[in-house]
Amino acid sequence: MIEEIVRRGVKAGAKYGVSEIEVYAVRRIDTDIVGTVNGIERISTGQRISVGVRVSVGKKVTVQGGFVSKVEDVDSIVETAVKIARTLPDDPQWVSLPRKLGKTHVEGVLDPRIKNPELEQFLEIARHLLSRAKEIDRRAFTSTVSIGMATVERAIGNNYGEIQLDESTEFDTFINVKAVEGGEESGYYDSYVAPTLHRYDPEQLVARATEVAVKTLGAKRIETGTYELVLIPRVFAGVLQSLIVPAICADSVQKGRSPLKGKEGSQVLSEGVTIVDDGTYPGLTGTKGFDDEGVPTKRKVVFGKGVLEGFLYDSYTASVEGKVSTGNAFRPTPFATPSPWISNVIVEPGKGELTDLVREVRRGIVVYSTIGEWLSNPVSGLLNATVTNAVYVENGEERFPVRGVVISGNIYELLKQPGLTLSGTLESFSRFMLPAIHIPQVTLAGK
Amino acid sequence: MVTTELAHQVLEEALKRGAESAVVRLQERTYESVVYDTGVLRSYSVSRVVGLGIRALVGSGAGYAYTTSLDKDSIVGAIERAISIARVAGKYGRKVFAPVKPVKDVYKVEVKVDPFNIEPKAKVDLVRDVNTNSLKREGIVSAVTRMGLERDRRVIVTSEGSEIEVDVVGVGVAHMAVARYGATIERVGDRESYIGGYEYIERKDWNAFAEEIDRLALKAVQARTPPPGTYVAIVDNEVVGLLLHEAFGHASEGDGVVAGASILKGRVGEKVASELVTIVDAGLVEGGYPVPYDDEGVPKRKTTIVEKGVLKGYLTSRDSAHELGIEPTGNARAQDITFDILVRQTNYYAEPGDWKVEELFDGVSFGIYLRGRGAMGGQVNPSVGTYTFSIGPSYIIKNGEPSELVRGVVVSGNILETLKEVDAVARDLKITTSVFGGCGKGGQTVRVGDGGPHLRTRRIIVGGG
Repeated sequence: MIEEIVRRGVKAGAKYGVSEIEVYAVRRIDTDIVGTVNGIERISTGQRISVGVRVSVGKKVTVQGGFVSKVEDVDSIVETAVKIARTLPDDPQWVSLPRKLGKTHVEGVLDPRIKNPELEQFLEIARHLLSRAKEIDRRAFTSTVSIGMATVERAIGNNYGEIQLDESTEFDTFINVKAVEGGEESGYYDSYVAPTLHRYDPEQLVARATEVAVKTLGAKRIETGTYELVLIPRVFAGVLQSLIVPAICADSVQKGRSPLKGKEGSQVLSEGVTIVDDGTYPGLTGTKGFDDEGVPTKRKVVFGKGVLEGFLYDSYTASVEGKVSTGNAFRPTPFATPSPWISNVIVEPGKGELTDLVREVRRGIVVYSTIGEWLSNPVSGLLNATVTNAVYVENGEERFPVRGVVISGNIYELLKQPGLTLSGTLESFSRFMLPAIHIPQVTLAGK
Repeated sequence: MVTTELAHQVLEEALKRGAESAVVRLQERTYESVVYDTGVLRSYSVSRVVGLGIRALVGSGAGYAYTTSLDKDSIVGAIERAISIARVAGKYGRKVFAPVKPVKDVYKVEVKVDPFNIEPKAKVDLVRDVNTNSLKREGIVSAVTRMGLERDRRVIVTSEGSEIEVDVVGVGVAHMAVARYGATIERVGDRESYIGGYEYIERKDWNAFAEEIDRLALKAVQARTPPPGTYVAIVDNEVVGLLLHEAFGHASEGDGVVAGASILKGRVGEKVASELVTIVDAGLVEGGYPVPYDDEGVPKRKTTIVEKGVLKGYLTSRDSAHELGIEPTGNARAQDITFDILVRQTNYYAEPGDWKVEELFDGVSFGIYLRGRGAMGGQVNPSVGTYTFSIGPSYIIKNGEPSELVRGVVVSGNILETLKEVDAVARDLKITTSVFGGCGKGGQTVRVGDGGPHLRTRRIIVGGG
C-alpha cells in the first residue's frame, strides 16, 4: 500500500505542475505492554499509515502530510501542498530534491520474532521481569516494566529516482527497579533499545538494574568541588546526544549555532577520541539502508583522533555548501521537514574494562544515571546533568553512593583534557555503540 | 468523519462483539507551522492526524487498539484486536475501573478568527519580518522564529453513557536568538501561546516580543555562569511552574504511586512543603491549556494536591483511582489516539500568597533570582525525588537587589526538601501554556499549563559552568 501511495503521489505532483515532488510513506504496526507491581497493566496495539509530501514550485517549497486512511488520501495532500507552495516566498538556498536515490545493504534490522510477535511470550518476559528483582535481592522490587515492539515499512520516491523500500523492526524494554531499606529509597532505570532481539538479555537487564538500585541505597550529596568522573556508556551517550550531536549537524553550523563552526581540521577533542557516524553499522536503532530522503547511508568519521573531520548533511544543507548529502536526513515524523541528524554514533574503544577505569580513580564518582543532561546547551557547549545514581570512589575503591549533585562544565574542555581514557568494551544503546569514559577533572555542585 | 455518531457505532459494534464495557476515542488534529531560520523560510508545514482508538474490557482484562484507517474493515479489525488483547490480558492481571457518572457535553474554545482561514502569505510575512528584524540587531548571529497553529478535536463515547466532544484551538509565536561576543555564543528563546484564534496573533507586537529576547541574549552572552553551590532563591512565575511540575507534579501522578514508583506514595497527610504552599491541578484556568474532560470522558475538576504544606491526594485515571481507593480526578490523558492513556497533569500550579514581589527580595544579602525566560524545561526521577531544570538568564541578588546577570543556570534538588524551604509566596499568580511543546512521559507529549506566584526558597542547588 505505501509503495502505491508514493507512486500515486509523485504522479499527482506532475498533474499539478510542480517543479519537484517527494512522497514519503510509512506504515507502522506497534504492540506495547506495560506492567507494574500489580501485574500487566496495559496492552495496546495499532496500525498507522503516515504520509509526508514535499513539493517545490520553482524555489517555493512546502511540506504537508499526516495520517491517511486510504491510498487516495495522498491526492488531497498533494493538492493542498501545491496550492500553499505557490503562495510562499522563494527559498534562495533551495537547489533541488536529491537527484539520486538508492540503498546500502544493511544487516540486523528485521527480526521475525518481533514482526510476528507471540504476545504471550512477551507477556511472560514482562511477568518475569516484574517478579525477578525481588528474587535477586529482597530489598528490591520492579516497579514498572514496558515492552514495545514495532514493524516499520518505509517507501520514498521523488520525480528523479526509483522508489526505495525497506522493512525493519524495533524493540525496547524499559525496567525501573526500586530498592527500599531502613527508610532509604533508591531506584534505577535501565533499558534495551534495538531493531532485533539479537543482544536482548532480559535477565542481565534486571540483574544490573537491581544491582545499581541496591548499591545506591542511602545515597547522599558530596561537597561542591572538583572530582574525577567516570560515565558508564549509556550516560556518556546521553551527554554526546545532548551536546555534541546537535553541534555536528550542518544546519546548526551554517546558522551559527554550533561552537564547532570553522573548526574543521582542528584538534577539538582528546587524541584518544574517535567518533564515527555510521548508518550501516549492523543492529542499531539508526541502521537503515537509506535516510529519510531516500539517500543511501554510509560510514563517515566525524572526529578522527579528536580532530574534527566534517559534519552531517541532508541534501538541503549539502547543497548550501555545494556538497552532497552524507545520508543523514532525518524526520521526527514522516510528515516533518527533514534536517540533518545522526544515524548511529560509534565511539572507538580504548583499553580495559569499566572496572579498570574505576580502579584508576583517586577521588571521584562513577555515574550510572543522570537526569536533565538533555537540557544542556549545545550552542554554548555547557553541560549540566543531575546525578541520580552514582558511587563515590577513592583510591580505586567504591566508598558510598551519591546522588543529587550537578555535573557542570564546557563539554569541549572536558573531552579535551589530558589523561582522558575510554574503556575497551563497547555497549550498544539505541543509536549509540560506545565505551565508558573517565574524565580527570570535573566540577560537581553538591552541598 | 470524527463524529459522535461514528463513535456510537463503534461502541455498539464493540459491545456486540463481546466487549463488556468500552471507551471509544476519535480525534482529528491539525497543526500548522511556519519557521524562519536566519532569514530563510525553513519550513511551512501542515499535518493532519485522524484516527480512532478503542479500549475494551472483557472479564478482568483490558485491551487498547487503534487505527488511522477509518474504513469499516479497519475499524472492525481494531475492535477485534482490542477484545482479543483484553481476553489475553485477563490472564495476567486484574483491571478494575472506578465507576463514574455518565456525562454529556460539548466544549469548544471560542475563536474569533480561524487561524486556518488566514492566507499563508500573511503568516509567512509576519514570521519573516520578526526574524529578519532580529538579524539586524548587532551581535545577533542567528535567529529562529516560528508560528504554531493548532486545532485538536476529540470525541469520547463510553459504554457507561458518557458522550464528550472537546475542540481546542491554540496559536503561538516562538523566537530564539543566538548572540555572539568574542568567541562566546549563547542562545535565549521564549514563546507565547494563546488558547483561541488568530486574533491574538494580530493584536500583539511580535517585533517587540522578539526584541526583548534579542536584548537578553546580547546581555547573556557577556555574562558569566554562576558559581555552583547552594543559594537562597527567588523564583519567578515561570520557574515556579517548572519547579512544581517537575518537583511535585510527576510524583503525584497516580499510576506511578500505584506502581510504587513515586516517593509520594503513602505520604498523604504528611507535611511535604512549607505551610505557605498550596498546589492544585485544574482543567480550566485562565492562561492554561483547557482540559474540561480527560480521555476517559471524566470531568477534570480542580484537584488539591498540597494544602498548606500537607499532601492531600493524587492525580488519577479510573484504574489508578480504583487501586488507590479514591475518586477519579480526570487526569487520564493520551497524546493522540495512537496511545492508551496515562495519568498526566493538566494545569498544575501554586495558589498565590499575600506578599508583594518586591518584598521577597528584602533581607536577601546574597542569593539568586531565577528567571523563566529562556528556560528549557526539566526532568524528575519520581522514585527518588531528584529533579532538575534548566532556566533562563538569571540575576545574582546582592543586598536585596537583583544585580549581576548570569547564564547557563541549572537548578536541582529533592522533592521532599525544596518546598519545605519556601518562606514567602507572592500574590502575582500567572499561568501559561504552549502550542510548541508540552510534558513528556512514556513516549507521549501532552499540552499542559503551569505557573504560580513568585516565591522565595531558602535553599536550592545551582549548577553553572
